[in-house]
Amino acid sequence: MTVGGAWICLLSPLAGALAITLAGQRISRRTAGWISTLTTFLAFGGALVAFFGLWAADPSDREHVSTAYTWLAAGDFEVGFQIQLDTLSSTMMLIVSGVGGLIVWYSMGYMAGDDEERRYFAYMSLFVFSMLMLVEAGNFLLLLVGWGLVGLASYLLIGFWHHRPEAVAAAKKAFVMNAIGDATFALACVLLIWETGTLEFTGVFEDVGSLSSTTVNLVALGLLGGAIAKSAQVPLHTWLPDAMEGPTPVSALIHAATMVTAGVYLLVRASPIFEAAVEVQHLAAILGAVTLLVAGVVALVQWDIKRVIAYSTMSQIGYMFVAAGIGAYGYAIFHLMTHAFFKALLFMSAGLVIHHLGGEQDIRRMGGLKDVMPRTHIAFLVGALSLVGIPIFAGFWSKDGIVSSALAQGGGLGWTLFVTCLSGAFLTGAYTFRMYFTVFRGEPSDLAREHAHAGHGEGPLSMLVPVGILTVLATIGGLVVIPGVWEPFIHWIDETAESLVAPTVAQDYGTSAIAVTLGLVGAGLAHRAFRERRQLVSQSGLWRVLEHKFYFDELYDALFYRPAVSLSQALRRNVEEPVIERSLDEIGSGTIQVGGEVARVQSGLLRTYALAIAFAVCVLVVVFVAVR
Amino acid sequence: MLTTALILLPVAGALVVAVLPLPRETTAGLALLVALMEVGLWIVAAARFDFDDGGLQLGTSREWVESLGISYSVGFYGFSLWLTGAAVIASAAAIGYAVWVGRDRPRAYHALMLLLTGAIVATFASQDLLLFYVSFEAMLIPLYVLVGVWGGARRQAATLTFVVYTMAGSLLMLASVVAFGVTQGTFSLVDSGTSDNVWVFLGFAIAFAIKAPLFPFHGWLPLAYREAPVEVAAVLSAIVSKTAIYGFLRIGLPKFPEPADDLSGVILVLAAAGLVYGSLLAFRAPDLRGVIAYSSMAQMGLITLGVFAFDDLGLDGAVLQSVAHGLVSASMFLLVGMVEHRCGTGELASLGGMARGRPLLATVVMVAGMIALAVPGSATFAGEFLIMAGVYGQGWGYSVVVALGIVLAAMYTLRIISAILHVKPGPAVRDEALDLRTGELALILPMILALLVLSAWPALISQSSFAGEELSGWTAYPPPPEETR
Amino acid sequence: MDGPGVGWYLIVAAILFGTGALGVMLRRSPLIVLLSLEIMLNAANLTLIAFARQHGDLAGQIFALAVMAVAAAEVAIGLGLIVAMARRRLVLDVDQASALRG
Repeated sequence: MTVGGAWICLLSPLAGALAITLAGQRISRRTAGWISTLTTFLAFGGALVAFFGLWAADPSDREHVSTAYTWLAAGDFEVGFQIQLDTLSSTMMLIVSGVGGLIVWYSMGYMAGDDEERRYFAYMSLFVFSMLMLVEAGNFLLLLVGWGLVGLASYLLIGFWHHRPEAVAAAKKAFVMNAIGDATFALACVLLIWETGTLEFTGVFEDVGSLSSTTVNLVALGLLGGAIAKSAQVPLHTWLPDAMEGPTPVSALIHAATMVTAGVYLLVRASPIFEAAVEVQHLAAILGAVTLLVAGVVALVQWDIKRVIAYSTMSQIGYMFVAAGIGAYGYAIFHLMTHAFFKALLFMSAGLVIHHLGGEQDIRRMGGLKDVMPRTHIAFLVGALSLVGIPIFAGFWSKDGIVSSALAQGGGLGWTLFVTCLSGAFLTGAYTFRMYFTVFRGEPSDLAREHAHAGHGEGPLSMLVPVGILTVLATIGGLVVIPGVWEPFIHWIDETAESLVAPTVAQDYGTSAIAVTLGLVGAGLAHRAFRERRQLVSQSGLWRVLEHKFYFDELYDALFYRPAVSLSQALRRNVEEPVIERSLDEIGSGTIQVGGEVARVQSGLLRTYALAIAFAVCVLVVVFVAVR
Repeated sequence: MLTTALILLPVAGALVVAVLPLPRETTAGLALLVALMEVGLWIVAAARFDFDDGGLQLGTSREWVESLGISYSVGFYGFSLWLTGAAVIASAAAIGYAVWVGRDRPRAYHALMLLLTGAIVATFASQDLLLFYVSFEAMLIPLYVLVGVWGGARRQAATLTFVVYTMAGSLLMLASVVAFGVTQGTFSLVDSGTSDNVWVFLGFAIAFAIKAPLFPFHGWLPLAYREAPVEVAAVLSAIVSKTAIYGFLRIGLPKFPEPADDLSGVILVLAAAGLVYGSLLAFRAPDLRGVIAYSSMAQMGLITLGVFAFDDLGLDGAVLQSVAHGLVSASMFLLVGMVEHRCGTGELASLGGMARGRPLLATVVMVAGMIALAVPGSATFAGEFLIMAGVYGQGWGYSVVVALGIVLAAMYTLRIISAILHVKPGPAVRDEALDLRTGELALILPMILALLVLSAWPALISQSSFAGEELSGWTAYPPPPEETR
Repeated sequence: MDGPGVGWYLIVAAILFGTGALGVMLRRSPLIVLLSLEIMLNAANLTLIAFARQHGDLAGQIFALAVMAVAAAEVAIGLGLIVAMARRRLVLDVDQASALRG
């Protein structure tokens, strides 16, 4: 029953995707939307069954592995199509299918009227299936399959409006960068096959202790490569901001709530490996810390509302990497969950704004929307407060848990991370409220005024209801962990991945006080800048660096893309054409010449031939006689 | 008997098609019917084949030239049956495509295509070296005429290079065949033992390297793939190239275990170089066929890596990848044909924007493209992963090259997908260019469906390719994990 | 069974062969060339039969029969060619028929 729920959860979105694809033009766009939404909610139902099944079970009986059939086999090596149901995966299933269902539902309003809605919903269902495959997989290969398929779905959805060159370029960039991560992930799997003979989580984790430290480090590095590519962490982060070319619900679902957090899930899922390779685990934390600063700073100068939220996503995932990197797995997943709530909420309310303003994304052309869109305003404000970490909102509980875990870690690394996280809290306050004030406060902009009279409310019900539900979740969703009072969520995750650090209650509340203050200071600065109509970053040199996102794109272009292009052109010009293709011509013309010379012997005179034969026979006779 | 029927059906069909003075449509229909019957026969053969048992099955053996030890001996192993399956399906699709576009002089054309099919099946089935040689060469005759008569503007140059290259390889192979048969006293692949003569092995290896083609023996490839009629290019890249893999699997490795092992270093390096080289050239090729041609060469390098991994993972992966690549590359070439048919050109710069208003074309191109670039979860991914894992035993560097190949494959495949489908319609894309027609879909969909089934269950092939293997001379076959860590 | 030794037969065969070879090399008329060819073939036949008799092995005789059959076929084709040449009013001179010059 419990495991059956997990299977239903996995397969129902796949069935939805197949049904929409096969039905094609025979169903209306609306039906396609409903198929997608309902199958996703059915998956959520399955996840609930699985979750409560586990909940009711004895703590010693909360890990089930179920294999449907052998997916891939060679010699003695076998990989099953198997799922692993435990506290970690059941939590992820709930997040993915729950938030996913809400966003797909929201899409029905957002995408209404688009030419190719059916294609959109088929892709969305494919994505939900892939993501569930990722979190339910019982072995590394199947995890990699889900990993790759979410990348595929992300590619398809970023490039959904395929007539726009920027969208296509962004989609390709996302896919290729993720392919790099897939490749290192696959290499890690190869190492595991040779060293442990299996890819099943349980088998691998049992054997981790007996592996050499080089092996473990390499495996961990390979997995980390996959994780940073998927989760858009420095240095493989440049695809995420560009990915905002996709429809807004896609950004909410894939590039905020679920797919990009897969790296965090992997770090937690493979925690036994990372714990055996402590340096690599710490590297993950350091990369997370770097990302949270870089993204936070860049977010200060962006004008595209979705890009600001995208950089904020990178920054928040940086927090999760910090947590997973120091072994605070419970808080990493906790922040993953609350982030899914409030970031999806932010994206969806931004989507309402964009929808309302007829596709405009530049915050300079927005402003004063508070009165025009009161409900959206509240939703966005809740999301923003939660993101900044203001008490009682969901983000407060999870982010402060991470910061205090860094404090509890102690040592040089712990303190560095602690300080970085606090600076991140300040930056978060600043960029979030810069965006909030610019969009919702002040005098209504021309564009806002123009659309205010159009008289079409804030959006259809299918958009407002999911936003409402998420608003509630982003407000109270963090109450499953109140440090010192009750922490069921952390204990629940601990059953699968035992946390290495546990902050004391004093550390927790002390940290919270500092972090909240810093967040408020950041928000206050943003408010002052808004009132005085100036930018948060005033120095022009720094501005330019930030506007170019620290020149990562330019750097990669010069380091990888251009060399690859010139290398292949050089190969064509210096090897393929002159050596491989020309050589055959040379051989050909040489043969023709030799043939021309030899042809002269053939006179066409029958008697000469006869004479030649006779002469040859004589020579042969002489030779035979002589040899004797 | 079944095996003989599989070989003779297309040959007999070719004779009937060539001789009977039927009208165009009837001729074409008859050829397609024969091709479909061939697929049906293969399904019967696969149903009768005991995959768990493995070994040589469905065999027939008759003395042919007794005094020289030459026999008509045919039969299938698990892996050759799978390769044959890909072959008959892909050639049925190719013949179907030829019917659909209505090639000139249909009697000759379809007879040659059927003859080609028969020769390919005979190559995969032959268990006698001389029979193998004859079938291997018999493929060349129809290919020569098909490219030379029905090809594009530079068809003569294409045919010439193709024939010169393959003939050079064939002569080396003939010398090796004779040398091997005479020293063994028999040409039978079943009865003969192993040889440790490096030169004899080299003769075979070079012939296979040219046929595949492996770097740097690929001089014939760009021209032939560009100038051949598109369905012939499909057969070339999908199946004819795989006969080289079959040669390595059935002759190169089991008959020459020591030379294969001694030379594996060189071959692995060349295969890895070919993988990177082909991928890089595919990345900048200016036209659709160029991209697919070079990508096909890269894939052959990859499969060769798997073969010379000398372990379960690599060999099973090589067979799986051969079948999957056979199907996907046939689909890609036929799709290229359909695009060229609509636009009159395959230049990437003149294409684009075809996704708008052509949902079927967009979907099929996208699915085929994603399988071609080995998105995780696809059959090609399963194959690549097994090869990557298998070749690790020969050196971690090769696995890294395979990983690099995955990234490069993503780059060049996305490039052509976007070039066909996305952004604004190119100058060659007219509004009247239709979506895929039902007939075209019927050609492509079976292959795509087969690929999807394989993606859902790649173990179907990888598990059964070498089950209960009795071929002599596989070298290292141990399960990877070492008990003494 | 006595009779002349095999050597005599060989001498006769050699003379016949030489006559034929000279005929092929020296004469221009295709008809005579064909005739000379037949003489050469029969010289070979004679040797075959002579040796067959010496060794008491019938294989040589059978082979001679095969040669005769081939010779008959060859003459048929050769005469056909000559008739064809005559019909086209070509000069019946092998030196003139040199279209095969490379």
